[in-house]
Amino acid sequence: MSGYFIFIILVLAFVLIFQISKASEYVSVLKGEEKSFKQSNRINAFMFILFMVLGLFGAWWCNELLYDRTLLAQPAASDHGEKIDFMLWLTIIVTGVVFLMTQILLFWFAFKYQHSEKRTVYFFPHNNKLELLWTVVPAIFLTILVGFGLFYWFKITGDAPKDAQIVEITGKQFNWMMRYPGKDNVLGRKNYRLTDASNGNALGVDWEDGASHDDIEASEMHLVVGKPVQLVINAQDVIHDVGLVHFRLKMDAVPGIPTTLWFTPKYTTAQMKEITGNKEFVYEISCDQMCGSGHYSMRGVIVVETQEEYDAWMASKKPQYVTVQEAAAPAAPKADSTAAVATATMSKPLAQLK
Amino acid sequence: MSSETISHGHAAEASVHSHDSHEAHGHDHHHEESFLTKYIFSTDHKMIGKQFLITGIIWAIIGGLFSVLFRLQLGYPDASFPILEDLFGKWAAGGRISNEFYYALVTMHGTILVFFVLTAGLSGTFANILIPLQIGARDMASGFMNMLSYWFFFLASVVMFASLFIQTGPASGGWTIYPPLSALGQASEGSKLGMDFWLISMALFIVSSLLGGLNYISTILNLRTKGMSMTRMPLTMWAIFFTAVLGVLSFPVLLSGAVLLLFDRNLGTSFYLSEIVVKGEILPNEGGSAILFQHLFWFLGHPEVYIILLPAMGMVSEILSVNSRKPIFGYLAMVGSLFAICILAFLVWAHHMFVTGLNPFLGAFFVLLTLLIAVPSAIKVFNWLTTLWKGNIRFTPGMLFSIGFVSLFISGGLTGIFLGNSTLDIHLHDTYFVVAHFHIVMGVASFFGMFAGVYHWFPKMYGRYLNNTMAYIHFWVTLVGSYLIFWPMHYSGLAGMPRRYTDWSNWQSFNQFQDMNRFISTVAMVVFAVQILFVFNFFYSIFKGRQVKSENPWGANTLEWTTPINPGHGNWPSDIPEVHRWAYDYGKDGREFIPQTEPIGADESKH
Amino acid sequence: MSEQKRKIHPHKFTLWVAIGSILMMFAGLTSAYIVKRSQASWLMIEIPVMFWYSTATILASSVTVQLALKALKKREMINYKRLLVVTAVLGVLFIVLQVAGFRQFAAQDIRLVGAGSNASYSFLLAISGLHGIHVLGGVVALAVIAIRALNSSTRSYSSVPLEIAATYWHFVDALWIYLFIFFTWMK
Ligand code: HEM
Ligand SMILES: [Cu+2]
Ligand SMILES: [Cu+2]
Repeated sequence: MSGYFIFIILVLAFVLIFQISKASEYVSVLKGEEKSFKQSNRINAFMFILFMVLGLFGAWWCNELLYDRTLLAQPAASDHGEKIDFMLWLTIIVTGVVFLMTQILLFWFAFKYQHSEKRTVYFFPHNNKLELLWTVVPAIFLTILVGFGLFYWFKITGDAPKDAQIVEITGKQFNWMMRYPGKDNVLGRKNYRLTDASNGNALGVDWEDGASHDDIEASEMHLVVGKPVQLVINAQDVIHDVGLVHFRLKMDAVPGIPTTLWFTPKYTTAQMKEITGNKEFVYEISCDQMCGSGHYSMRGVIVVETQEEYDAWMASKKPQYVTVQEAAAPAAPKADSTAAVATATMSKPLAQLK
Repeated sequence: MSSETISHGHAAEASVHSHDSHEAHGHDHHHEESFLTKYIFSTDHKMIGKQFLITGIIWAIIGGLFSVLFRLQLGYPDASFPILEDLFGKWAAGGRISNEFYYALVTMHGTILVFFVLTAGLSGTFANILIPLQIGARDMASGFMNMLSYWFFFLASVVMFASLFIQTGPASGGWTIYPPLSALGQASEGSKLGMDFWLISMALFIVSSLLGGLNYISTILNLRTKGMSMTRMPLTMWAIFFTAVLGVLSFPVLLSGAVLLLFDRNLGTSFYLSEIVVKGEILPNEGGSAILFQHLFWFLGHPEVYIILLPAMGMVSEILSVNSRKPIFGYLAMVGSLFAICILAFLVWAHHMFVTGLNPFLGAFFVLLTLLIAVPSAIKVFNWLTTLWKGNIRFTPGMLFSIGFVSLFISGGLTGIFLGNSTLDIHLHDTYFVVAHFHIVMGVASFFGMFAGVYHWFPKMYGRYLNNTMAYIHFWVTLVGSYLIFWPMHYSGLAGMPRRYTDWSNWQSFNQFQDMNRFISTVAMVVFAVQILFVFNFFYSIFKGRQVKSENPWGANTLEWTTPINPGHGNWPSDIPEVHRWAYDYGKDGREFIPQTEPIGADESKH
Repeated sequence: MSEQKRKIHPHKFTLWVAIGSILMMFAGLTSAYIVKRSQASWLMIEIPVMFWYSTATILASSVTVQLALKALKKREMINYKRLLVVTAVLGVLFIVLQVAGFRQFAAQDIRLVGAGSNASYSFLLAISGLHGIHVLGGVVALAVIAIRALNSSTRSYSSVPLEIAATYWHFVDALWIYLFIFFTWMK
């Protein structure tokens, strides 16, 4: 019902605007085109100044309303994130100055130089000095921004520290799966042809590789605060993207081409609850690459905790290999001996990243 | 794909209608034309331009309507609109837009507006209408190819439109159609038949824009009238020329990417596919690279954004100068910056791929080149500002939109400096910050350029004016509305809110913007309604608008205003005028304007 | 306007731009090939002998089209028509030989498409297939010119259409030579 009502109102508004527009055209013809041109010119010039003033006010107001909801209002939760925040502020300041300057000039000129009988325009086709000026000055500022940007870029994309914890994260439509390398700190080899979710091998781990026997699988990511972590990122079906907003990082997950990302978490989840004043706070992994109809719901959770909490969590987990073995042959307690063999034939899973 | 039609076109046309006969039929060429040859299979550049424009307008309405529909979902994620179910059936069961439907709408919205409206509708319209008129030619180098260009566009439109009615829906993987998602029917409904339609439609579209682009280039280079040296051309011509160059060199690369994708989809090859397990099914493909497609796509994709923007820049430069009654400031710098942008546009494509696992050194290279583009862009902005400075400004509707364009170009261009810096792009990629950026700088700004062009050249196209009052309402609501829609999106982007999400309510990190989303959706509907007002004004004024009484209503210097009010086939009833000066002698030696056709006076000052 | 007469014919010019455009397409494809080649699981391609024959054919057709152009300029209409038809037939023969070449792969049990296919061979197919389509386009153009020439009611001695077609023909010829060398070299 209300739909039709709105529709009728819309149509009426249309007709009204149309009638007014037609009428004002007749009036302007009667009044003389010259006169009505002058009048509308004055109105439009004034509108530009009004737009500028209200616009600047609106921008300020928008900032009041929304600033606290952005990440600018909270500290970055990783060391890399701090660099990115610094870069962000630097860029906001540089571009902000340019923005204000150019927009104000634009609308001010529009108002100031509105048509007037008295003015003779200044024939000013070019001026090499000026043009050089606004080639060189922007170039200098951009060089500064590029300089900082690349300095941080290489820091962030550089090699992870040797002692970094390794966590594998794999995306598929529409959830994330984690794998920890276990005690040997080596992830077992994978072969996508072995993928078999119904038999406990959703990741396609090659159980032949002994290094896989102590690997832990989980649906949540647990990290130790202050300890560097390197993510090994995979996708099974289509491209996904590991988006870590609080750490200010993201990296695509591409089928067939593993990628990596490393950072050091700075605050535990509990600390972040205090910092943000949000009792519900969790670190979320968002999928940031269109991956199908469930893309918007492809959510993962990261828990950042102290070493003790982490160790306790780890201790509660059973290697996936063991789970699979138990499910397959509930009576055969052979897992331990195979694990011993495994350490001898350790493979180098990270080599396959190269 | 393109060449056979091209050479065919040559062969077929050249013998019937060789170049020399063009000149011959300049004089009083008034043999009877049938409806079919005049309005449908016309080879007159002006008619073809109008065909592009009107088809573009129809597509713009459809594409805009889609955005209203998906904004409904974003603004009111919990509400149900029974009318949607009546209209779309299973796609909106229970009156709510399903996920598949949402993604199909977004994808089609992007595809339609980027390619069909702002490429074909913008370049196709103004290149066709303005090139011969502004360089002083009777028609395009090949009217026949020009006609083919429109009809390929029409075919592409038909295929794309048909894809909307497929059982499994149209393509829905985003307008960038990244494989494997777009390659695997199992992965998404939209990757079934709809995707093949999309690819076929785009192939036809590419043929269309190549045919058009070839024609624009060779017309501008070969058919300029006497005295019209390259450096005397209006900036619109330069912009269109560079646009055509960009298109001719980058669209074929997209075509090759699309062909390989068609292979992967239908012939089981592995160009883009490797080690895939989809919905539990293990695929045999090995050795492909999904990233390869992104390189091929963005090698077009980035030039494409300039294909959209450059014509708008050219027209805006022209209109700003005419209505400031003052020469464009730094003509050569304007040409030079267009050229620089054109070159750099080919060298920055990987800035869309900073977080794909791109080699960081390569990434650094692309950062440098990307931020380099900001320099010619800055030159343009400052030159536009200086053009206004000490002018005598008339706020015609075309002028209003041109000033709006400059404002939007500044706003959107500055956020590009954020995104081009890979360090920041890690954080901002695929968030609403990007949505805000490209809508302002490419979507809305180019639309403003297009509106400016329509308002400015409508008198030339139809011999009538558009209604001014409606134009003012159109302008002010659109300008204010665009900022209201896209400005707040920067904030949700800075909160990391990802794009292409149908609903954020289950997220701790992104659910704080519901009121803002509702506000944006409301404004979007108002802005859409005002565009309908424009469309109404457009069609009404074709028939009932105030008539143009003088040949040169804006007091402009360029050649199109030396033709009769309603130019016939061949444009000038007598000889094509000769050109003696550049196009921007406004306010020189105390004269308001000096047309290009006027010889240099003996005591005229130099500049 | 007389100064324009001396300039290159706009249709010819258009063709040159079109050639640039087509080149970009193949540049895109061949660079994709180069990038892929550096990856694992890449197979070395053995060019079948048939491709040597097709190469010879297309080279020969370039000669005949040039002769046809000469004949037209000398107004030797019978010769001209004959050479035109021969060129078109050679073009078709080229396509046939290409197809035969790909059949040889099948005989060796090499899959170009479908399960078990390898991207290196798929590339060969896609690239030469696209080239083949361009050759077909040239054949159509020649056929149109030939039909015009055989149809005595339109008497046109303008050499422009044939010049354009010939330039295009040489281009697809040269393009194939480039691809041929590329594929042989890239082993
Ligand atoms: C009333 C005006 C418009 C509104 C409210 C609007 C809104 C939106 C929104 C919210 C999205 C993101 C949806 C998502 O990612 O979930 C989007 C996507 C997009 N829009 Fe618009 N839009 C408008 C006009 C335009 C125009 C004029 C263009 C022309 C260039 C355009 C081009 C695009 C493109 C290319 C995308 C990306 C599509 C994709 O992700 O595949 N839009 N639009
Ligand atoms: Cu996703
Ligand atoms: Cu780009």
